[in-house]
Parts: sequence; structure tokens; C-alpha cells
Amino acid sequence: MNGNPIIEGFVEAIELIITLDPQVVEITIRSLYVSLTATFFAALIALPLGALIYFYEFRGKHAVVSTLQTLYALPTVIVGLIVFLLLSNVGPFGFLRFLYTPGGMIAAQTVLIIPLLMGLTVSALSGIDRDKRYTITALGASRLQTVMTIIAEARFAVMSGVLLGFGRAIAEVGTVMIVGGNIRGATRVLTTAIALNTSMANYSLSIALGIILLAVALGVNIALSLVQRR
Amino acid sequence: MTIIEAHNIRKSYGSLEVLHDVDLLVEEGEILGLIGPSGSGKSTLLRLLDLIEPANAGELSVFGIDTVTDRGTWLDLRRRMGMLFQRPVVFNASVYDNVAMGMRYRGAPRDEIERKVKEALEAVGLSRYIKSRALDLSGGEQQRVALSRVLVTDPEILFLDEPTANLDPTSTATIEEIVTRLNREAGTTVLISTHDLAQGQRLAHRVGVMIEGTIAQTGPSREIFREPKSQRIARFVGVQNIVPGRVVAQREGLTVVEAQGKEIFSATSPPADEVEMIVRGEDISLHRRKPGYEEAENLFPATVTAIEPTAPFVNVAVHCECDLVALVTARRAETLGLEIGMEVWVSLQAKAVHLIPQAGR
Amino acid sequence: MKINATHLAAGIITILLILALCAGCTSPAPGGNETPAGTATTAPAGGGNVLRIATTTSLENTGLLAELERVYEEETGMDLQFIAQGTGQSIDSGRRGDVDLVLVHAPDLEQQFIDDGFGINPRCIAYNYYIIVGPESDPAGIANMTPVEAFRTIYAAGTNETAGVAFVSRGDNSGTHTQEQVLWEQAGYDYDTEILDAGAWYVEAGKGMGDTLILANEQQAYTLSDEGTYLSFADRLDLAPVVAEGAELLNRYSAIAVNPAQHPGVNAEGAADFINWLTTNETKQMIGEFGAEEFGKPLFTPLYAPECTEPPFNCTCTGEVAG
Repeated sequence: MNGNPIIEGFVEAIELIITLDPQVVEITIRSLYVSLTATFFAALIALPLGALIYFYEFRGKHAVVSTLQTLYALPTVIVGLIVFLLLSNVGPFGFLRFLYTPGGMIAAQTVLIIPLLMGLTVSALSGIDRDKRYTITALGASRLQTVMTIIAEARFAVMSGVLLGFGRAIAEVGTVMIVGGNIRGATRVLTTAIALNTSMANYSLSIALGIILLAVALGVNIALSLVQRR
Repeated sequence: MTIIEAHNIRKSYGSLEVLHDVDLLVEEGEILGLIGPSGSGKSTLLRLLDLIEPANAGELSVFGIDTVTDRGTWLDLRRRMGMLFQRPVVFNASVYDNVAMGMRYRGAPRDEIERKVKEALEAVGLSRYIKSRALDLSGGEQQRVALSRVLVTDPEILFLDEPTANLDPTSTATIEEIVTRLNREAGTTVLISTHDLAQGQRLAHRVGVMIEGTIAQTGPSREIFREPKSQRIARFVGVQNIVPGRVVAQREGLTVVEAQGKEIFSATSPPADEVEMIVRGEDISLHRRKPGYEEAENLFPATVTAIEPTAPFVNVAVHCECDLVALVTARRAETLGLEIGMEVWVSLQAKAVHLIPQAGR
Repeated sequence: MKINATHLAAGIITILLILALCAGCTSPAPGGNETPAGTATTAPAGGGNVLRIATTTSLENTGLLAELERVYEEETGMDLQFIAQGTGQSIDSGRRGDVDLVLVHAPDLEQQFIDDGFGINPRCIAYNYYIIVGPESDPAGIANMTPVEAFRTIYAAGTNETAGVAFVSRGDNSGTHTQEQVLWEQAGYDYDTEILDAGAWYVEAGKGMGDTLILANEQQAYTLSDEGTYLSFADRLDLAPVVAEGAELLNRYSAIAVNPAQHPGVNAEGAADFINWLTTNETKQMIGEFGAEEFGKPLFTPLYAPECTEPPFNCTCTGEVAG
């Protein structure tokens, strides 16, 4: 090893990205696939539940919302551990044979971001101010029409919540490492690949994957600001 | 025909009581102005009457239908009314979609929606923005969109909650004009809350004054302005002179009130021994010398103690054993050559002196 | 009205949940071919064409596994999936049936695994030596000592707070960590009571071999490493092998299949095939040559019969395994 490993790493990293190194491409595609799918399922589950929490008055609603907000910061390794125990061959869902598969990773990330998406859905809907709700009622909306109008009005805020959830999913390493096992060619994603290659002192590959991960995060942020400007 | 009838309405939010003992009758086809300081419960009352939220207690019928016993009728009743709020509310959609909302809720046919939305936008002068995003419009334009949105649903009762507060004069004029025309031509009943006394006077056939969560006085605006029932109402409607005094005699059909040694004639029959004299500043005339032909029952000399311009008028405080404030036009103040310490003659008609019982005695 | 909306919302959610579950079940369906794009075509353990192997970080970090995987997949079309964990964790994965095969290096743990009925068909594959690496300056002065003496000296220097003396332990219950514990015991210390809380000089990394070497390098500390990982990292390290002699430092790797009688779902046939392939002379030759070019000397010495059946190895290294 001669020269500065960081500079050399960067140069090699750029090379890996520009030449579309098959390993880099494969890991990136898998990362996007896993996290996008997880975000999709999480949204399918969390958005209606969030709306339900917002529109229905029930005892303990406040507690539910603050619990959700606490779970925003749910440690990824804890979700990883729980999902690992559930999916392990001797666990209750072992028969699914999901451990160490992308399916298991999707399940884990889905679980991870559901509270975030639910909570953000609730706050997105709460963001519709009182005057708007009065206006909807005053215009003669039935209860269902009211619900639909508020959801439609909050669509961009809900979308930013979904984007945030995707950002959290793709950037996390805890659950995918434990549940996915970081298997080359099967469950290795950007974050776990960075962790492994750093431990193997393959800094250039780590840096290349890091640049891609940052680019994805940047993309999410750009999308967020576009959505929030609406 | 009475279109709204409310008795003993009470409303609280948690421990905060917003409305109490509200009684109100609204006749079909009238414009009722609700005036009162902020926080007096005007907006809440309008929301209760529009059936947006329920009262905690009291009776309320709208269109002759009791709304307390039968909540099932609320949606139908609400669809016969409309409300415009103080803050312009538009939704994140095109102007067209915004205006169409109420009609869509009512399941109106598409071509009818299109025709009426276009008509309504024409009327408020926003046709060219029909495809724009409503959020991109100015506050005044948004409020006009909101008004169109209400109007296309042909409300029989229209509630306006401070609709022109903070709006530019053009939008204010457009909205006032539309509301008056609607009342005149379609016979729409209008309830408008405002803290702009002039607007209340200009638009309303009848005015209700709200003080601390209840309607303190209703009547034609002239009556509210000249003969407020209480000190608080008097203050709110801008009476400059509220002078405590004592009824000492009744002479030639007039009441004589003594205030700090000064005797003043009033046309009001005495409501109590201890009274407050309510005198609007613009009813007090100032003269440089004793007018020979003056018909006013009260005429006395006084000293100018303060001059405070409030364009286009000037508040002039004078002392004549008791203290009074007169409101004169800036031009008149110039003509009189007013300055502090100057001796002037004050004239005041007895019928401009309204008497109310002293509070808390 | 309120009730209608409730039912409607509940209905929508139920449908969405069912959809989500269905999609969730079908998306990672076993795929026929290896797809380079890496979309979810991974078969679960037990699937016919995937073999899941729990292994040690010291093997993964050398690059040997990637080489074996490439060749084996080319020859057989089987999809080898290596999950790099510590040896302890790998054996646990085997006990739970989450993997089909383990490739590990901790004789005591392996024996336990087999005795408990979870592991079958153990085969020794190759060996190399553990080495004690440390700063060139050798602040504890352990060069040319036996491993046990060296550990005693490090302990003495560490507890005396001799400047510059520190020891980084894997601390992850891996094979290397187990070996380190054995050495401490042989040196006369009780690992749990005397070593774990011995002071600031004893650092537990809790990481794989590569990370531990990098940590030891940063702190200029001693550590116990397998030779293979050290050699493959040597060019990035400012650490020298200080003690490399001694029978105590022998490090042998074995492959053990997970018993299908305990976990019927495992790919027993695939595991047997792979073990048989590992013990062929061609594969052993490949293992024996691995790294020679890159690091100047091979990282592993393959075990051929009969030497592996005699002490110090005392394990089987040939023989057809039935699937």
C-alpha cells in the first residue's frame, strides 16, 4: 500500500462507480429493491392505520401517538434482533424460511419504519388546520367526504413521511445485518457491504458504496424538499 | 318568518366558557351584524348556528327545525347554509376544484358544476385564475375564491365570520357588494360578524353586540351607537364620554343630571338616581364665542385641555367643571383655531345625552 | 354515518393488510437462476439449489470463501451463501437449523455441537497457525517466547501498567477468541475472573478478525490472530508477528453438516455434496495454493489423509459423506 489510502480509495471508488462495477451495481439495486419494497408495504399498513388513529377519538389516543413518536427512534438492532428471533428456524415464523433472505430484510425494515410512517401520517393529517376542517364541514361534506378531503389535502405531507421512512430504511444497517446475514450475492446491501469492506480494509469499495448511499440520501432529500414546497 | 331561533346557548371548550345565555332571533331575509371585541365569542356562535359544532346546552332551531333533538338532520340543514371564515381557506388544488368542492359534496352534475363555478368566478373577477393553484393567489383573491365556493351552493343562510379582516380595499368592496346584492336579489339571510363598526353599520339591517360570550344588545345600528345599554357596549361602540352623575330634577320633560357640580340636560327619562351619561364626541359642538341662535339645551363655556388628531378628525378634550371630549373634523378644528388653554363654548343637545344606570352601585 | 365510515375504513385496512401479506409472501419466492441484479430470488434454506453456510470472519476476511464460492458455483450451479459470524454464533445458527453447514475452527465447540446431535459428518479441511502479533518495538519483550510464556509476560506487563503494553481480544466468542481463552487458561489464569477485568490493557473488540487487527494496529497493541487473516491484512498493518511458534497455536478448520434429523428443512444433500467436494484433492490443492501469489506464502495448509487422523489433528479429513 503506497500513498494515502483515503485519496487512493476515492480515486478507485470513482472508478468503480463510473465503470458501473457489477458488484457495486448489484448491491445498489438490491438495496433499493429491499428498502423500496419495505417502504411500500409499510405505507400500505401504516397510512390507513395512521388515518384511523387520527380520525377516531378513543381512550388512550394521546398515549398511542406518543408511543409512536418514541418508536421513531426504535433502535435498528433491536428490530433486527426481534425479527431475527421471530424468523429463525426455531422461532414462530421459522417455517417461512425468511431468515437470511431479502424477504426477511424487507419484513424487518417494514417493521422498523411502520411506527415512523404511522406517526408521520397522524401529524400530516393533524397539519390540516382547524379552519380547513371547519370549512370542509361548512361546505356540507359528509363524514366520509370529510375524511377523503383531509387525506387528499395532506397528501404531500404524507408523501414526505413516506420518503423519510424510505430514507431511514435504506440507511440503516442494524436489521439487515442481523436478519439478512450480509450474504454476498443474496442479502448484501449498501450499508452491510460498507461495514464488511471496511472491516476487510477494502476502503475503496466502501467509499464507492458510501458515495452511492449518500447520493440516494441526497435524492430523498431533494424529493422531500420538492414535495414540501407544494 | 324566523329562520334561526336560539335560546340559552352555552358552549365551553374544556374549562373555558366561550358562550353563555345566548338568545338570538334572526328573520328570513335580513342582514344581521354581530359586533364585539375579539374573544367575545362571535366566531363560535356562528359555527354553532351553522351546525359545524354542537352547543353544550340550549335550544336551536334552524329553518324551523329543532336541531337539538334530531342530529340526523344536521348534514341536510348544513347543506342549505354556507359560511365564510376570517382567514381565507383554500385547498391545495386548482381554483376550479376549490370552488367546485361544495357542489361535489352535494353530488351535483358535472355540467352544472362547471357552469356555476365559471359564473361565480366571473362574479368575483377571478375568471382568469380558474386553472391556477389556489394557494398561489393573494389573500384577497383567496377569500374571493372562498366566497365563490360558498355562493355556488346557493345557501339560504350565509354566515360571514369577519370576512374582510386584513383584506385589501378592493377585495373588501367586492365581497361587501356581492353580499348586499345576494341579500337584495336572492333574499339570502346573512349573519356577518365584524369588529369593523363602520362595516357593521354599512351592511347590517340590525346589529347584535357581543360582550364576554353573550349577546348584550340587539337593535338597529343607530340605536346601538347612540343608546348603548351598558358602559361596556358604549365603550365598544366608541363613545368618548361616559360621565357618572346624579339625577337632580326633571324639568320641561328633560332630565337634569348633575356631574361634578355641572348640570346637564338629557332627553332620556331617568333610569336610576345614579346614572352614567353617554355622549358621543361628534354630538358635542364647539364654538369660538357664544352662539346667539343655538337650539341646544346645553350651552356652556369651557377650556380646551388637550387636542389629539385622529385623522380626519380631532379629539378635543375640554374642561367645564366636568371633563368632556368632542370630536370635530380637522377642518373645523383649523377654523376654530383651537389651542390648549383656549376658552370655547360647548353646545350639546339634550337628546344626544343618553342615560344608563351606573354599574355596580 | 359514523358507523358507516368505521366499517368502510376497517374494510379498506383489512384488504390492504391481506394484499400486503400476499405480496410479502410471493416476492421472495425461490428463483430458478442466479440473477446478477440480486432481486429477491434467494431460496430459503432447504431449497434445492441454495446452500447456506455459517462461517467465521477469519475465513471470510481472507477472501478464500469468495474463491471457493466462485469455483463451486461454476462447477455445480449450486448457490453458496456464506454468512460470516463468529464460530460460536455460527454453531448456534447450525443448532437452530438456520443454516445447512458450518465451516468453523473451535474443536471444543465443534465436539459439543456433534455430541448434542446437531452436527454430523465433521471433516477437517485445512489448518494454519495462530500468531501473536504486536508492535515491532515489542514493549512487553515476548519475542521468541512460547505462546504460554508470552501470555504470562503480557499479563504481568499489562497489570504493571508498563507503557505501551495492551492486548486486544476478539471478545466475540469466535474460534480465535476461544483459542485465546485456552491460552490464558494454559498460562494459569482464570479467564472470567482474572483476565476479563484485568485492567485497561485488556481490550475487548467484539468484532471480526479484520476489525480486531485494525483496532490493534490503531492502538499498537498485541492480539491473537489467525495467520491467514494477518497475512491478507499485513500490508495495511504496522504490526509484526511476535510469537509464531508452538503447538498451542495450531488452528484447524472443519466443515460440519447440520443434522437433518434435528432440522428436516435443511439442505442435507447439498451439504454432503459440498463437504465431499471440499475433501477432494483438487479442492485441497486449491486451498493450499490460495494466497501464495498475493501474500508470498499460502494462507492455509490443506489436510490430507492420513496425517489428519493422527495427533495433533485427530480428526477425519476424507471419506465420502452420504447426503
